[in-house]
Amino acid sequence: MQAVILAAGEGRRIRPLTRSRPKSMIPVANRPIIAYVIDALIKNGIRDIIVVVGYRKEHVTRYLNQMGIPLEVVVQDKQLGTAHALQCAESRITGDFLVLPGDNYIDPDSITRVMAEKNAMLVKEHPNPSNFGVVLLSEGCVEEILEKPEHAPSFMVSTGIYSLTKDFFQYIRKNDITDAVSAMIKDGKKIQAVPADDWQDAIYPWDLLRMNSRLLKGLVPSREGEASRQAIIQGPVKIGKGTIIGANTVIKGPVVIGNDCEIGPNCCISPDTSLGSRVSMEPFSYIGNALVMDDVHIGSHSRVISTVIGERCDLGDHLSTAPSGELLEVEGVVVKPEFGAVIGDQVTSSPFTVYKNCIVGNNTRICSVHRLISGILPDDSMVI
Amino acid sequence: MCGIVGYIGRREASPIIVDGLKKLEYRGYDSFGVAIIGSSLTVSKHQGRIAENANSAGSLQGKLGIGHTRWATHGIPNEINSHPHTDCSGEIALVHNGIIENYAELKRALLAQGHTFRSDTDTEVIVHLIEDRYKETQDLLSAVQATLPSLKGSYAILVIRNGEDRLIAARCASPLVLGVGDGEYFAASDMTPLIEHTERAVFLEDGDIASVSRTSVAIFHGNEPVNRPIELVDLRLEDVKKGGFAHYMLKEIYEQPQAFYNTIQAVRDLSLSPEITCISPITLVACGSSFNAGLIFKYLLEEAGNIPARIEFGSEFKYFPPPVGGTVIGITQSGETADTISALLQAKAQNCCTIAITNVLGSSVSRVADRTIFMRAGPEISVAATKSFVTQLAVLMQMVNRLSENTYDEILAHGHHVIEELLLMDFSDAVDLCMTAQSIFYVGRGAFYPVSLEGALKMKEIAYIHAEGYAAGELKHGPFALLSPKTPVIAICMPGKTYGVMISNIKEMKARGAPVIALGSAGDKELIDIVDLYLPLPGNNVFVQVLASLVALQLIAYYTAVALGKDVDKPRNLAKSVTVE
Repeated sequence: MQAVILAAGEGRRIRPLTRSRPKSMIPVANRPIIAYVIDALIKNGIRDIIVVVGYRKEHVTRYLNQMGIPLEVVVQDKQLGTAHALQCAESRITGDFLVLPGDNYIDPDSITRVMAEKNAMLVKEHPNPSNFGVVLLSEGCVEEILEKPEHAPSFMVSTGIYSLTKDFFQYIRKNDITDAVSAMIKDGKKIQAVPADDWQDAIYPWDLLRMNSRLLKGLVPSREGEASRQAIIQGPVKIGKGTIIGANTVIKGPVVIGNDCEIGPNCCISPDTSLGSRVSMEPFSYIGNALVMDDVHIGSHSRVISTVIGERCDLGDHLSTAPSGELLEVEGVVVKPEFGAVIGDQVTSSPFTVYKNCIVGNNTRICSVHRLISGILPDDSMVI
Repeated sequence: MCGIVGYIGRREASPIIVDGLKKLEYRGYDSFGVAIIGSSLTVSKHQGRIAENANSAGSLQGKLGIGHTRWATHGIPNEINSHPHTDCSGEIALVHNGIIENYAELKRALLAQGHTFRSDTDTEVIVHLIEDRYKETQDLLSAVQATLPSLKGSYAILVIRNGEDRLIAARCASPLVLGVGDGEYFAASDMTPLIEHTERAVFLEDGDIASVSRTSVAIFHGNEPVNRPIELVDLRLEDVKKGGFAHYMLKEIYEQPQAFYNTIQAVRDLSLSPEITCISPITLVACGSSFNAGLIFKYLLEEAGNIPARIEFGSEFKYFPPPVGGTVIGITQSGETADTISALLQAKAQNCCTIAITNVLGSSVSRVADRTIFMRAGPEISVAATKSFVTQLAVLMQMVNRLSENTYDEILAHGHHVIEELLLMDFSDAVDLCMTAQSIFYVGRGAFYPVSLEGALKMKEIAYIHAEGYAAGELKHGPFALLSPKTPVIAICMPGKTYGVMISNIKEMKARGAPVIALGSAGDKELIDIVDLYLPLPGNNVFVQVLASLVALQLIAYYTAVALGKDVDKPRNLAKSVTVE
């Protein structure tokens, strides 16, 4: 069986984190989301994998090359929709195949179940169905799909994962896969609805924290770096090679720390935290429930909770994040999420900056001390 | 400047050889040929790219064979001149990489003896000489051993003879490795064709002759048997595959941040004493892109470390009085660049301390130099140097850093960020301006002058647009006459000592009507008003600004070449590794 992973779309709602990568390449528990999808396929014995790339395609391709698994890469030049992306791979498809979004986590067992059926869809209940394609079922089959309805009649949503046969392509008329599936149903074909066990999608950047905490549950502890004998490490903790954990640092797993990091001395890392590679954390800082990407520097005496930090940020000492839930407008939709901060790539901030429930754009510079940042700051902002 | 491959073992030889030759195409690709021993010796030669003719060559039957991809040096590229060459009887076949300097006199003697020559190549004399000796000894190994002393020049050869179930390999000043498989052996100019079959390799030394059978290999130095260790080579097949990128060059451009970081880390604890001290004179020798890297080093070192350095082209080094004592640094990606190697040999003869900077483990230069510093670029397939250039800079910048008391540790540790940042930039406006141009001038001052040289070189070699790099001040001493609205100028104008005078240079060029594309520092308010296209680059230090502007120029050249529909990875008339002088 073949599988097509769709990884061409940017994922605009997850900005500012998609400046240098599509959503499928955002690291969660220190691995890009697409890596989990590929793992799940490999575990099911699927070796013939086609990845459709588009937005920042070179970055995706570069990562796929490093995985050491033979993957076929197909380019979608313009991101016109999921069905169009699938059509880009049509010439490589020889028989039955799976379609999966590259930016959602899926567990291997659900794939085993859906690949056993011809013409089937993985579905899952979700508390906010309006962000997805809501499905109405009858006798285990899909009766109707409503794409992102304002008032959802059901909590059951499509995961975007399908098991299809080659003749699916004749139903593609518009640009989205759901349209083609609706056309199939109208034509009298049956689409099985297979319930998924564990499926995770991050619609907004703060949703990554939940996904991170979920994916850290499967963490296999390991210790390649050096931890001081005075450090206290409890629970499942993975420490990459070249990383140094200073004295009197307390780490409570699940926590993953990448390669060549320098933590502490006297730092505290609470559960559900991922630190990328080459992250440095100066003494007396605290971090918990956080996703920190590569090459980030966090100054001393900081408190970072419920926060996502992009690559190459340089955050001065006494940084503080204050979680609260205020109204934010993202891509035309008003939401009221609770989180500390989402900080884009390459942000620099001066000492004593407080981030309160805010989204900070890429390349933002906070040049003066003692600033309270809240709301949404666009890319390349300068705060003086 | 050719590539050779040989195989002996259990499998059909021709597909393995043709596949191996494809991987060696970067060494030259105007013609290729294969000789296989099955029921008899059959030879198949073709002019042009391997991919176009692979089927006919790959279908020969037999489990022993040799192949060659050629880049013409003696005789035009055609089927007759392409290797393998055979003797008069058509029983012995040979492939050769290198140049036989005394071939004219050897050829005269052989013609007088009644040998018939089919081609214009220097190589054919070897096979006729072997034929003569074989008549005396009736043994292929001793025939080759007896032939080699009469050859002057450089060679890596593979020889087979109908009726002998073995492969004879020999090298002198041209690269050759043996791959050790399971019941099979491989021979090739470098590891690239071998890694999908084996990771065990024997690197032959100059003067070595190997007799390879299906089950064993015997190596002789001259006539004495010697032992050469089997080395494990750590290369992954993924490293040499295009893996979804449109071109190797683009893949390699995108690998630069990682390659730069790896190299900086690997040479972080580099100790330069006793070879380099602040008082010993430093000379660099290099060719092509490596020369530009060396020139950047000279600017950075003289500025940061206050140490004077001299730089020469490898091919010109011998025409100057050689330095007496001091240190000579040779820079070559492939480690096989003949000009650079001979310059190092000459320096050694003058009691200079020699350091080689190269990307290839076990390459010839690492055997010549007293000390070798490896850059960690990984295999580079595209003919245009990109990541190898950046890693050369990484080594050289780290040397500057060490010689100036580690002042730049922090900057170098973050150098890869700047390259990563550049990969997000959009150069389509610059490409639009460049792709219709007849000529492009690249100008810069200080360390940005060699960057402009390198940028122009990239544009020339892959987009086939005439491009020249100049020190900005030199433009008015002649080339100004060529400026017109049809000759865009790419100016690198960074804040610092050179800024003010660069601005006035740009104004002069604008006054001649030339469109100016400026690579400047982000946030520059003055530049943006006077130029046609302003590209803001990150970085606030000359080290990272050099990297940023360099990668920007690579990308402009690449996308221009793609827009013009050129074969980016295999530009016409060029080969990756130039193993002739």
